[in-house]
Amino acid sequence: MRVLTLLLVLLLVVTACKPNKDQPLDAEVSISPWPPRVQPSRVTVHVPTSLDLVSVQVVGDMTHAGMIPVEAEATRQEDGVWEVRGFDLNMRGDWILTVTAKDRDGRKYVKEVRFTIR
Amino acid sequence: MRIDLLRLPILGRFVRWRYSRFALQLPLFLLAVLAIYDGFAGRQLAPKNLATVSVWLHYRGLLVLIIAVLGNLFCSACPLMLTRSLSERLRRFAPQFSWPLALRNKYFVIAFTLVYLFAYEYFDLWAGPWLTAWLMIGYFGAALVVDTLFPAGTFCKYVCPLGNFNFTLSTVSPTKIGVRDRQVCLDCEGHYCVNGRVDAAEGPLPLAFNTGAAGERYPGCETKLYAPQIESNFDCTLCFNCVRACPYDNVTWEARTPAREWTGARYRLDHVFLGLLLFFAGFMNAFAMIPAYYDLAEKAAALLRTRSEGLLLMLAFVLWVGAGLGMTWIVARASDRIAGLRDPALVSVRRWGAAFLPLTFAMWAGHYAYHFLTGWATIVPVTQQALGNLGLAVGEPNWQLAALVPENLLYPLQVAILYLGLMGSAYVVFARARKLGRMSAALPMFAYLVALVALTLWVLAQPMEMRGTLLDPGSQPGGLR
Repeated sequence: MRVLTLLLVLLLVVTACKPNKDQPLDAEVSISPWPPRVQPSRVTVHVPTSLDLVSVQVVGDMTHAGMIPVEAEATRQEDGVWEVRGFDLNMRGDWILTVTAKDRDGRKYVKEVRFTIR
Repeated sequence: MRIDLLRLPILGRFVRWRYSRFALQLPLFLLAVLAIYDGFAGRQLAPKNLATVSVWLHYRGLLVLIIAVLGNLFCSACPLMLTRSLSERLRRFAPQFSWPLALRNKYFVIAFTLVYLFAYEYFDLWAGPWLTAWLMIGYFGAALVVDTLFPAGTFCKYVCPLGNFNFTLSTVSPTKIGVRDRQVCLDCEGHYCVNGRVDAAEGPLPLAFNTGAAGERYPGCETKLYAPQIESNFDCTLCFNCVRACPYDNVTWEARTPAREWTGARYRLDHVFLGLLLFFAGFMNAFAMIPAYYDLAEKAAALLRTRSEGLLLMLAFVLWVGAGLGMTWIVARASDRIAGLRDPALVSVRRWGAAFLPLTFAMWAGHYAYHFLTGWATIVPVTQQALGNLGLAVGEPNWQLAALVPENLLYPLQVAILYLGLMGSAYVVFARARKLGRMSAALPMFAYLVALVALTLWVLAQPMEMRGTLLDPGSQPGGLR
């Protein structure tokens, strides 16, 4: 009975799978100052001008579970250039920046970059 | 006065229910399945993946909390043991072996734990959802294979690094399996608590010697502990098989003062070594998250003219754990000399090394408590995300859910945990010295423990650096692509 219960549960879990649909974002991301330090920093995202974006969100995560992410909405500076000022890089170690852009049709584009603060 | 928790109305009935363990295992099994799925299919970002968050944050944090408050309930609820039914079926086709006599101790686990801790640092298991998922699958597979080829319970007692970690830490637990009336055990011919029981037509029979008998079956202790002789929580998985198998309702789960175990239990040398290894490895685990560790690694790399992280990490392990064991040996000898004893070196280590057990718990509890309390609520958004990836409508995850207590309280809490551990260890040291009739014999070991705690507090007070690379990865010039 136990084996059957477990198999049933596994079956239900596996059959409920669906793939992720976000598209890759062809962007260039830079951080100032560089090399990065533990301090509020500027994050600049250059995206292709062909994309009609309405929002760009920048999220910074560390590679260890349990750390609170740093989240910020970028503001548009000029065509294809979005920027976050005072992005709080608050700890030394490995960081992953996730840039999520949304266009007018609600499509999401995602780009990840990694860097280390020493 | 002894308090038997099994006398509590709901708890006692639940523990005696034959499916109680399954009821505890099922939620953890479901979580493990979801975590494995998310580990492979979810986002490969440790703070946002259920595999890494549940294993490296919640499992470890709740483990130390529950061990401190109740006992080794994570072994009770261990989902790996759900492979047991499958093992029993596979045994009909697989060859059967007995676990080698030379390995019926903790030395294999000590070696395995070292390999595991090395792999944890070298492969950055804490940062890799898919590696964590593979680790979980590996555990399930190992439990299945070992318990198919060897007698049930072999995996828990002689192989599982997690189980043995729990055994070691549960020496500080406020509960223990015991017996109500020792005379009942002396008069018992079946020793059902260890042999199991089958309720045959002619009455209860020991299951181990009547495997073919018809009737309801209650397996006995899988790690072969005889209830009236249990003086320590080492090797007890709190499966409560003994409670269900005893036909006289004579087995208890009693509240106790852990200090009675530290001073009364006759720990074997391998138990002491496991405790010592976990203490020094626990220190290393915390030390590996601060800048001083990386600075040392850079200096060692320059000195040895190598960029091999594996070599440097292995050296760090060998030197630190080796130095720790060596220093413990020297200090134990000094304490023995003051007491006027001339026993062999290993006897000294066994006598005084057991004092580390409370501090070993405190070392891991202080470290795990930090991570758990800073990020305990992240289990909510990661579970939402994992279920969302399965197509279930569970709402938008709120990634700002995280801390349980304000950050400025975390260090004082760690200090309090370490000092409580130090008090426990000091109690053991002075109790041993008093037993030997010379209190001054405790002083070298006490001073050593104080120094180690001071060093640990220095490590915990440092700013953290969560880096996956031991050596400086270098900076990419310009933009990040």
